[in-house]
Amino acid sequence: MRVFVIGLDSAPPELLFKEFIDDLPNIRKLLNRSAYGPMKSCIPAITIPAWMVMATGKTPGELGLYGFRHRKNNSYRDIWIAHSLKVKEKAIWDYIAEKGKKSILVGVPPSYPPKKINGNLVSCFITPDSSVNYTYPSELKSEIEGLVGDYIFDVIFRKEDRDRVLEEIWEMTEKRFEVVRYLLQEKQWDYFEFVEIGLDRIHHAFWKYFDEDHHLYEKGKYSNVIRDYYKLLDKEIGKTLEYLDDDVAISIVSDHGVKRMKGAFAINQWLIEEGYMKIRNKELLESGRVVRFEELDVDWGNTLAWAWGGYYSRIFLNVKGREENGIISKSSYDSVREEIRDAVKSIRGENGEKWDTKVFYPEEIYPVTNGDKPDLMVYFDDLYWRAAGTLGHPSNYLKENDTGPDDAVHSEYGVFSLALPETTKSKLIEISIYDFAPWMLELLGFEKEANLLRRD
Amino acid sequence: MEEKERKYTTVSIPVQLYEKIKNRIEGTGFTSVSDYVTYVLREVLASLEEEEKEEVFSEEEEEKVKERLRALGYLD
Repeated sequence: MRVFVIGLDSAPPELLFKEFIDDLPNIRKLLNRSAYGPMKSCIPAITIPAWMVMATGKTPGELGLYGFRHRKNNSYRDIWIAHSLKVKEKAIWDYIAEKGKKSILVGVPPSYPPKKINGNLVSCFITPDSSVNYTYPSELKSEIEGLVGDYIFDVIFRKEDRDRVLEEIWEMTEKRFEVVRYLLQEKQWDYFEFVEIGLDRIHHAFWKYFDEDHHLYEKGKYSNVIRDYYKLLDKEIGKTLEYLDDDVAISIVSDHGVKRMKGAFAINQWLIEEGYMKIRNKELLESGRVVRFEELDVDWGNTLAWAWGGYYSRIFLNVKGREENGIISKSSYDSVREEIRDAVKSIRGENGEKWDTKVFYPEEIYPVTNGDKPDLMVYFDDLYWRAAGTLGHPSNYLKENDTGPDDAVHSEYGVFSLALPETTKSKLIEISIYDFAPWMLELLGFEKEANLLRRD
Repeated sequence: MEEKERKYTTVSIPVQLYEKIKNRIEGTGFTSVSDYVTYVLREVLASLEEEEKEEVFSEEEEEKVKERLRALGYLD
C-alpha cells in the first residue's frame, strides 16, 4: 500500500475536528471514512523534535533533540541549532528505502540541509533562504523554481504589519501545495509526507482576534482569519486528493495542538529573585529595556541555575566538573534539583492563582538521554504560560511576548486521522505520537520493523 | 620494502564476495578487485563524513536562522 501524509503543524483536534469542520467539506468527507482523534505529542510538544519523533518512533531523549537549540559542550552561551544531519535514528523513509521503496518529503522539520533519501526531498523552514540548495536531488530545485518561482519556507509572524503576514502566509501555502501536487504526479513514491507550517504561523499571529477567552481578545477584521485559513487548507487538500489513486492510504497529522497564551513568565528574573542566580551588572535590569541573557555578567561562582525560554522552559544547573565554573557537587545534584523543582512547581499566577506547572527530569521520561539535555524541563501552567528568558521586565508576568506579538502557545494534543482505501466508515480513536511510525510501517508492509518500534 | 615506506596493506574479505566483485568489474574501468574495493570504501567514507559534518550553516546563515527562530518565538 502507498501512504500519503498531510502534516498540518499545530492543528488541534478542537478546531479541525469540531469547531471548523462544517466549513471544511473535503476534510469532512475524508474523516467520514477515517479512524481519527487526538494524538498525544511528545515532551516537549514542539515542532522540533516532534515531527522526527513521529517519523522515527523514538523519544526526544533517544534522538538527542530537546528543541531547536542545544548547548555546545555544556557551554553557558554557545549553542547549536538543530538540523537534519543531527537526526541519526532511522525514519520511516529510511526503513522502506532498504527494500527499494521510494519517498517524497516536503518541509518535514528538520530537513535542512537536504539529506539523501531514496526519492525526492524539499527542505523545511529552517532553510536559511531559497538561494541555498534545498532539495534532494539538487536538480529538483530548478524544477521547483520553474513551477512556483521563489519557493517560500516560512514567514515571520511576530511583526505588527498583520496584513503583510497574511498575504505572505497565503502565498507560501499555495506554493507549497502546488509543489506537492507536482511531485505526487511527476515522481515515484510509496510514502509521501509534507508539512504545512503556515497553520502554526496563522495560529500564533491571529489567535487573540479569534479566541474570546484570550486576555487581549480583539474583535475585528482579523476575527475570521484563522477560519479562512482552514478553508484555504481544505480547498488545497481537496484539489490535491483528486490526484491520488484509490489504493492510497491518507493520513492527516499534527505535531502538537495550540491554545491561547495567558502570558510569558520571566524565568531568569525569578531565578535571580530566588537567589539561584547571581549577576554582577544588576543596574542593567533597571535600564527600562528588555535585556537578553547574553548581556548578563553572571557570577557563576555563586550561581546554581539559569534557564532558557520558549514554549517550554529548560533549566540548567551549574554542576562542578561539567560547567566551566560549576559549583554543584555530584553528591548534592539531586537535592539541588529537587529544591528547584519544588520551588518552580510552587510558582503561582500574578494574582495568587494556582498553576498546573509540570516539571520533568529527562532521565525519568526517556529511556535514554543522548546529547545536550537540560536538567529540568518545565511546562508553566500546563503550557498556558510560555517562558521568557529575557530580563529587565517590570514584572515576572508578561501579558505579551518579550520578542514580538504572539498570542498562542502549544497544547499537548495534536490530531491524527487515517483513511484506508477500503474503509467507508469513521471511527473515533486516541493515539500517541509514538504510534505513528509503527502504523505507517505496517501499512507499507514492514511489519517486523513496526513491531520493534511499538511501545506499550 | 621497509615497513615505513609501505603504501598499501592487506585486508581480508570473504572469497565469495571477492568472486562477486571480480565478476562485476569485468569489462569496466576497474583494473582489480582492490581498485574497486578502494573506490567503494572511499565513497562510503566520504558520504559518512558528509553526514557527520557538524557545521552545516555558515556563520552568516546561522545568524539568519537564529534571528528567524528568535522572531518565531523558539529562542526566547
